[in-house]
Amino acid sequence: MLGQTPATEIQLPSTAFEGESNRPAQSYWNESWERLRANRIGMAAGVLILILGAIALAAPLFSQFLTHYQYDRIDLLSTFQTPGHPHLLGTDDLGRDTLTRLIYGGRVTLGIAFLTVALSLTLGTTVGLVTGYYGGWIDDILMRFVDMVLSIPAIFLFILMSILFHPTPITLAMIIASVGWGGVARLVRGEVLSVKQREFMVATKSVGARDVRLIVRHLLPNVLPVLIVAASLGVGQIILIEAALDFLGLGIQPPTASWGNMLTNSESYFFHSVWLVIFPGVTIFVTVLASNLFGNAVRDAFDPRLKTH
Amino acid sequence: MLAKYLVRRLFASVIVVLGVTLITLILMDRTRGTYVPGIDLNPNLRPEDIARLRANLGLDRPFYDWYLTWIWNVLHGDFGRSMIDGSPVISHILDRLPNTLELTGTAIILGVLISVPLGVIGALRRGSKTDHAMTVVSVAGFAVPQFWLGLLLILVFSVTLEQHGLPWLPSSGAASAIGGGDILDRLAHLIMPATVLSFFYLSLWSRFTRSSMLEVLSQDYIRTARAKGMGERRVVYLHGLRNALIPLITLVGLELPGLVSGGLVVEVVFGWPGIGKLAFERALQYDYSTVMGITFFATLLVVAGNLLADVLYAILDPRIRYA
Repeated sequence: MLGQTPATEIQLPSTAFEGESNRPAQSYWNESWERLRANRIGMAAGVLILILGAIALAAPLFSQFLTHYQYDRIDLLSTFQTPGHPHLLGTDDLGRDTLTRLIYGGRVTLGIAFLTVALSLTLGTTVGLVTGYYGGWIDDILMRFVDMVLSIPAIFLFILMSILFHPTPITLAMIIASVGWGGVARLVRGEVLSVKQREFMVATKSVGARDVRLIVRHLLPNVLPVLIVAASLGVGQIILIEAALDFLGLGIQPPTASWGNMLTNSESYFFHSVWLVIFPGVTIFVTVLASNLFGNAVRDAFDPRLKTH
Repeated sequence: MLAKYLVRRLFASVIVVLGVTLITLILMDRTRGTYVPGIDLNPNLRPEDIARLRANLGLDRPFYDWYLTWIWNVLHGDFGRSMIDGSPVISHILDRLPNTLELTGTAIILGVLISVPLGVIGALRRGSKTDHAMTVVSVAGFAVPQFWLGLLLILVFSVTLEQHGLPWLPSSGAASAIGGGDILDRLAHLIMPATVLSFFYLSLWSRFTRSSMLEVLSQDYIRTARAKGMGERRVVYLHGLRNALIPLITLVGLELPGLVSGGLVVEVVFGWPGIGKLAFERALQYDYSTVMGITFFATLLVVAGNLLADVLYAILDPRIRYA
């Protein structure tokens, strides 16, 4: 989930970016960008995500000019059509065009993923900055609350909330983010605790800077790299969670298409329509793979301390 | 020092558990007033019958009363009764627990047994073809949806094999309903769900072992061990692996709650009669008291798992200070 230690490496205690202090402030971002650009697999994955996003955004165009079908158009006379002509990727049990549904499903799935990341980061960063900076009782109360949220097995929380709220894409994003912000808060708080000790913070404070200015102008830019890394590593995880909830029938409901709910009940088509199981699954797999590879590249570029061996 | 640390952690855990009950019960309270489970099954119910049903189920009591009663009962081992069939929730949980433990336990053990050697090989032969192949597999393991992997296995090993008249694996349940239940039958049912579940753990832990091992092997004490002429085998296994496994223990400890909740999706895909599937089915039927009981039970395990991981870590790694 968002903000937790990525599984592939050990996260070391933060010591910020030593050895870069005597260079111009801009160079960290330029250097990171150069490192990211040099990572060919990572860049390819990033471009793939952009393409998928563009296709999802342009879904009505594809439906109009490529597939010539609406995603929710039921045609009981042409159910389970094999991939080819006129349905490029075949049709499902109600005769709906699979490719059109995949493209529209991308809107839902990617949209939810990005919205979830945005929500988790906003709330998590705010809580992390406040608790890390002020400490004391605010810190105690909020961080115990984070402990509680993260102690409930996430899948049970998702189930409880989705029977409660009957998810639309926006509420589903809020449901997933209601767990995801906790990890971000812990991460940001940890960064703030270490940055707070550094001399420039003490100096800024001693010349009379106010709390808000210290937090927004000085702490936030310093935790930004961690946030960028958490965001890019989180997207893939969230797509997997969202797909699983949709598959279980707890997320986005048909006729709205999502990659997860296209697989609900698909085991009943095993005998005659294998493509209905293959295409949505491959789409999820490739998207998550690309997100993870891009996320790893971003981590290596922006946070070289965490680079895997 | 250790005792004081333990007491503090234990105290914090109790607070967390209490808070969790409050969060989940508030969530449940938002819905419990509006719907009586099973109400739409009987069209002859009169308003006074519904009122009586609500009273029997405790749906008409104020939240604080309901919450305190629930806590009091849980302290006495009573997790309440199912809103669907009136049977004690705890008996449902205990009924399904062995199946779930069989599945997730097998997956975790398989995961550790395979991932540690793989991780060590990856670290020792860093950059080799084996290492690259394992990296690719584990990157794929992070990206593949568990439920879809399950569907694919069913497609190949149940459906396709059966179509070709070959021996095939059962795709659903923990044992055959007729003439099943012996060890071979249970194993045949266990293979696919356990494989799906352990594939994820495998991806996670083999990468972790690998980087932990590389980290340890670059330490000074390893160089010292080599410098004093110790055999490579002893250096790697006695000094290297032992230290590399310490962080892995925490990671596996954190996964222990997954013994109960981690298999939910896999249980549903494979029709495995475990706790996760129970929670899922009861949630769809709005059986709040059962879902609540299971959630609380699983949360207890999470908190206990975290505590255990912390304590083990503190005991195993003398560098950790109990501050």
